[in-house]
Amino acid sequence: MLQPAESTGAQLVLDVLADEGVEIVFGYPGGANMPLYDKLYAHSIEHVLVRHEAAAAFAAGGYARASGRVGVCFATSGPGATNLVTGLLDALMDSVPVVAVTGQVRTALMGTDGFQEADVTSIMGPVTKRSVCVRDVRDLERVLRAAFRVARGPRPGPVLVDVPSDILKAACPKMDPFAARPVAAAPEHPGDGAIDETIELIRNAKRPVAIVGGGARSANAVYLYRELVAMLELPHTATINGLGCATPGDPRFLGMLGMHGWKAANLAVNTADLVLALGMRFDDRVTGKPDKFARNAKIVHADVDASEFGKILPVAVALRGDLRQTLERLVRRLGREETMPRFSGWAAEAKALGGPLPADRAPHGELSATDVLDAFFAVAPDDTIVSTDVGQHQMWAAQRQRAIHPRNFLTSAGLGSMGFGLPAAIGAQFAHPERTVVAVCGDGGFQMSMAELATVRRHELPVKILLIDNRRLGMVRQWQELFYERRYSHTDLSDNPDFVTIASGYGIRGERIEDAGELRDALERFLGSREPALLHCACFPAENVWPLIPPGATVDDAMEAAPQTEAIVA
Amino acid sequence: MTLSLVMHDWRLLERIVGLTNRLGCAYTRVDVRAGEAHYHATIDFVGPPDALRRLDAQLSRLLNDDKEMSR
Ligand SMILES: Cc1ncc(C[n+]2csc(CCOP(=O)(O)OP(=O)(O)O)c2C)c(N)n1
Repeated sequence: MLQPAESTGAQLVLDVLADEGVEIVFGYPGGANMPLYDKLYAHSIEHVLVRHEAAAAFAAGGYARASGRVGVCFATSGPGATNLVTGLLDALMDSVPVVAVTGQVRTALMGTDGFQEADVTSIMGPVTKRSVCVRDVRDLERVLRAAFRVARGPRPGPVLVDVPSDILKAACPKMDPFAARPVAAAPEHPGDGAIDETIELIRNAKRPVAIVGGGARSANAVYLYRELVAMLELPHTATINGLGCATPGDPRFLGMLGMHGWKAANLAVNTADLVLALGMRFDDRVTGKPDKFARNAKIVHADVDASEFGKILPVAVALRGDLRQTLERLVRRLGREETMPRFSGWAAEAKALGGPLPADRAPHGELSATDVLDAFFAVAPDDTIVSTDVGQHQMWAAQRQRAIHPRNFLTSAGLGSMGFGLPAAIGAQFAHPERTVVAVCGDGGFQMSMAELATVRRHELPVKILLIDNRRLGMVRQWQELFYERRYSHTDLSDNPDFVTIASGYGIRGERIEDAGELRDALERFLGSREPALLHCACFPAENVWPLIPPGATVDDAMEAAPQTEAIVA
Repeated sequence: MTLSLVMHDWRLLERIVGLTNRLGCAYTRVDVRAGEAHYHATIDFVGPPDALRRLDAQLSRLLNDDKEMSR
């Protein structure tokens, strides 16, 4: 029987989103998604008009990273949709739940090279968990509901739903909020056998190390992780996505692992006889040369995604399932042991394997980026949310950050996409309006998303931008210095614009410093107000990120300074 | 390596081909039949053993998401 046509596809999209708990969408309108924007006009969902669709995807990701909820972005067909690619891939690489809804040309035009037509679902296939075009309005609600289930997990990620404009306009029954619909399957958990094996390996280990990754954040398993390492008095380290998992001030936390990780962390893993890899995936920026990584260790790998087991390294025990449940079982089983294995002696030894972070010295009076970041992290409120862009400043920030929770340190880790910092901070600020949110950006990456200052201004977001301006594409310049015989090909940005004037053009207060003596007061002003602000730090350009394990190399090859004493900058 | 796969969305084949190529593998036979509600694909893959193992694992993940999307 025909149901009364009380709604339209566009209205249904918004109603389903709202029913899924969506309160905010980041997006940009255009011809094909105009029916959707028309219904948004009077809808309860808040819409944030970004200034480039790439920022919509990054902001949705920043919102999701900071809140744990699904981030949503909208774009129109063709160029609007293709502008989402990078942000969706970023969400895929870092397992961030995002749903993108794109307008498509009307079904009759699809395949005719119609105006602003693109094969969006094919383009988006490899950058999402699933990308689907809805060609019948009767499928729309089912597909949208499924998109949310798939985006949420078990391993979160982005899903794209492409909706032709005639489907958005099509009449359909109103959403029934009480209709029965599929629920997500209960997460799996590892069996007792694997847990027993793990405990046996821990009992027999002399030098175990835990490595935590972004999986602990996704699974809301941070408190259990803290409990596990505390009860075993384990030395532990984190991938860049796992930063913030450690209890603040935990003396057994060795700092970030990997290419620019802390020496103690890398050496401890190298010395370990057992690695507990928890919600991490052995990225090459972590392992360097995989066959030399943790070369003396048996590996217990806990992950919700079975395809990660043995992908890079062979594992002794695979703990497949939701990390929270895995850790709960481990902690509970360990709690029942008559004698608890404890590793505080080894933890102290592991800590002593490394020293402070090496840093290049700034020429007299000039501002050093690492000094700026040291000072910033020393004075920023404990619950500050920091997003970073990509490059040297990202690594310096990751080395120094003091996040009290992994949702407080947001970075494009797996994809490493410049342009992420500012829009991700915008998303995070919408998720947590009361918190201090700071985007730490390089001068290169900031210029990829600078137009989002308009979004900041329009919504009067108190987002802060700490701009580390070394007038170079610093990370590439560093590699040119170290690995390309100082041929500084196209990494010079010494003709950068006046960033303070640009900020002021958007109505945002900016301040420029170039002298180390100005730093403290400037940071106080920067963090002291509830207004958006830009602190432009003009830093000396030759500073490098140390330590550095060259790509594909091992911890034995770690560099702590440039081979020649004086670094030359083009 | 021969895999028998159940796809709910026949377009998944495109992802399978892309993934196969990305992992440095290839296929020597693809046979797809439409059923009532799904598609049955039988595919012979060739490639280095390590890559085939990864491909197999990633295909399972892809098929799980496809199954969930179809509910
Ligand atoms: C979208 C994108 N394009 C290119 C790169 C390659 N890349 C990595 S770091 C970097 C330099 C970034 O320079 P800047 O933003 O000034 O930060 P810095 O390294 O100086 O701190 C570049 C170009 C990238 N990661 N992302």
